Parts: sequence; C-alpha cells; structure tokens
Amino acid sequence: MELSWSTFLLEIINFLVLIWILKHFLYKPVLAVIAKRQEGVEKTLGEAKALHDDADKLKQQYEARLEHWQQERQQARDALNRELDTERSQKLSALRNTLEQEREKVRVAESRRQADAQRKVEESALAQGARFAGKLLAQVACPETEKRLVELTINELEQLPPERLAAFFTHNGASSDIITVVSAYPLAELQRQQLQQALSHNGWTATLQFQQDPTLLAGLHITMGAWVLAANLRDELRGFSELTHHEQ
Amino acid sequence: MDNPEIMIQPLFQLGPVDITTTVITTWGIMGIIWLFAWLVTRRLNVDNPGRLQSAVEGIVSVIEQAVADAAPQHARQIMPLVGSLWLFLVIANLCGLIPGVHSPTRDLSATAALAILVFLSTHWYGIRIQGIRNYLRHYLSPSPILLPFHLISEVTRTVALAVRLFGNIMSLEMAALLILLVAGFLAPVPILMLHIIEALVQAYIFGMLALIYVAGGIQSQQSRLQPEQSPLSEGQGDSDD
Repeated sequence: MELSWSTFLLEIINFLVLIWILKHFLYKPVLAVIAKRQEGVEKTLGEAKALHDDADKLKQQYEARLEHWQQERQQARDALNRELDTERSQKLSALRNTLEQEREKVRVAESRRQADAQRKVEESALAQGARFAGKLLAQVACPETEKRLVELTINELEQLPPERLAAFFTHNGASSDIITVVSAYPLAELQRQQLQQALSHNGWTATLQFQQDPTLLAGLHITMGAWVLAANLRDELRGFSELTHHEQ
Repeated sequence: MDNPEIMIQPLFQLGPVDITTTVITTWGIMGIIWLFAWLVTRRLNVDNPGRLQSAVEGIVSVIEQAVADAAPQHARQIMPLVGSLWLFLVIANLCGLIPGVHSPTRDLSATAALAILVFLSTHWYGIRIQGIRNYLRHYLSPSPILLPFHLISEVTRTVALAVRLFGNIMSLEMAALLILLVAGFLAPVPILMLHIIEALVQAYIFGMLALIYVAGGIQSQQSRLQPEQSPLSEGQGDSDD
C-alpha cells in the first residue's frame, strides 16, 4: 500500500496520453460519423417533411380545384337543365302545332273523302235514276207525249220577246235561213204550221226543214244556226245527267 | 508481505524513475486501446456500418448521452475525460483475470493518480467555464462558515475515490490468491466471476463520480442562479463517501 511517486506521475502522464489517444483516434472520428449520419437523417427527414408539405399543398390545391370543378359542373348541369326545359317546351309546343295541323289535314281529308263518296253516291243515284227514267220514258214515250212537248215548245217560243227570238236566228250578224226541226214521230201539218208561225218574227218567215229521229223518244230538236233548242226526252235526260256533273 | 503477488515491485529503472508492473500494464492497455481504436476507425462507413462499428458507435453514444444527461451544455468538453476513465478502468479492472497480469488499479499510486486527475479536472473545467471568481464563490455558499467543510469535502472525496477503487480491486485479487492457495486449482472461479461484476461496477462508480464532480463544479454557480435546472447540485455532497 505504498505510494510510488514515480508510478503516480507516470500514471498521470499515461492517462493524459490515453485521453489524447481516445479523443483523436476514437471519439472524434466516431462522433463525426454519427454526426454525419445524423445530418443525413435530418436531411432526409427535412426532405421528407418538405415532400410532405408539398404533398399537403398539392392536396389542398387539388381539393380546392376539385371543389371548383364540382361547382362548375353543378352550374353547367343547371344551365343544361334549363336549356333542356326550354328546348322541351319549345319542342312540345311545335309538336302540338304540328299535331293540330295534321289533325286539321286529316279532318279536311276526311270531309273531302266523305264529300267525294257522297258525290259518287249521288252520281250513281242520278245515273241509275237517268237510266231508270230513260227506260221508263222509252216505254211510255208515244205520239201523245210528243204532241204535248210540241205544244209546250210552241208556247214557250210564243212567249219569248221578238228581239230575243231574233237573236236566235242571227249568227255573226247574219241570219240563218234554214231551221232544222227533228222529231221522234212524224209531225202533223198543223203542228208544222204552228212551229213555223212561232219561229217567225218581225215579218221574217222561217224555212223549216223537218227530219225524224226515233232516238229522241219524244219531242223536238230544233237547230237554228249556232243555236240548238232541245225539247225532247233524250236531250232532257242527257241534260239531267250532265247537270249533276256541272253542279259538282 | 514481500510477496510480489501482493506488493508492487519496480521491474527496472529509467534514471530516477521506477518502472513497475502497474506502468507496464498501463502501457499495454494503452497500446491495445490505441490499436483497437485505429483498427475500428480506419474504415468507418456512414451508410452501411458493420457490427463492430455499430457496437463502438453504441458505446460512444451511450457515454456521450450519459455525460449529456449530467452536463447538457458541456458534454463535448467533459466526455473525453469521463469516457476514457470508463474504458480504461473497465479494461484495467478486468485484466486482473488474466493469469500473470495484475490490474493497475490494485496499485494505490494508479488510483491516486486518477483521483488527482479528477480533482484537478473538476477545478480546471469549473474555472475555465465559469471564471475563477464565480467558481471560487461557490465555496462560500450558502454561508462562508461552510468554507472549511467544502475544503475538507474536496480532499476527502478525492481520497475516497482513490482508496475505494484500490481497496475493491486489491481485495478481489487478494481473495482470489488466498482461495487459490488454500483450495487449489479452479476453486476461485466463483470469486473470479464476482471479480468481473465488481470490476464493471467499480469502473462505473469511479467514472460516474468523476462525472458528477466535474459537472457539479461546472454548474455550481448556475445552480444557484437556476436551482431548478441543475438536478446534480443536490447529489454532489451526498456522493462523498
């Protein structure tokens, strides 16, 4: 348990040297490596934090943009709905007008078709009636009937004003000299004289030329220049049939 | 008591200086530490450290963290002293397990040298960091009447630091020697296992007390100004044995 001063001093020196050795060969390089690694870790953490901040910023930007897009989409959708409503109402109105026009066309066509059908029925009825009357009158036609028609014609001619009667015999300023009288049956002399007397006027005496045509059934067919006076059953029936066409 | 196993005998002399086994062993430990540090630190890798580098970095980090816990503002200044004490004492205490090699810390001259270094370092760091007036003022606080007690405390804790380590390591080696002499081969193995634990504990105690003394010297003035920020100021007096 002696205290050796030389050992004591040497140990002090030895330990100071040991401190120097450890400081320069162990602590300093190891701490430098740790500090360098720590610096790298902090740098990485800083970069990660910067990336995280950037990501947060981008996320906020994207969220704001997304919200803006949603607002724009909603506005566009509302505008589109309004346009669709307007367009729909316009289309519906136009469709209603078109339908009304089509309905009117159909109604007019239907009325025209019914009128045509009625006209055809009437024509058919008139034709049948004319045929029936023609057959009936052909069976009942006789000299007596013709006599009545001749008398009726003479009465009518006698009741005409003279200037009117004169107009019958004038064609293009020239008077017709010959009047053709066609009858279904042979006319009696008295009837011929009465006709000549009825057709004469203002002192002018007509020249009558009598002919016979059984197709007249009964009555007279008088040709005066450009004028034709039909007072027989055939022409009356024909006129009756043609009258229906003229009415339409 | 002249047994060379117990007594420290000079091996040779360099002029007036006696070279004892303690000095030779210390040189050997210094050489091993220097060689180890050089081998480890010559290929340090920042991105992909090996197992040995990771272990060394862990040891250095633990030492630095322990010093930073006691003196957070001056850890880099104190750390070489405290770290060297821990590393040297662990190896020095454990080398007594090697047959034919004696631990340097069984020599009172070596432990006294380390204690004196701690004593001087306490004042050195305190004066350097706080200034001599502020540092010496703490001997007069809380009252000038306590100045003699402060002075006695400085001496006694230094002596206790040296004697504690010397006594423990010396007694362990002597106990192992006595058991070996009495019981024979392999009998002192349990004592040697106790030697390992005791060596580590004594190294830790010596280094931690040195750290507390130095940190207390640095922060004694600061602790008076900001007592709530210096938890070590209360344990300084209690650490003295």
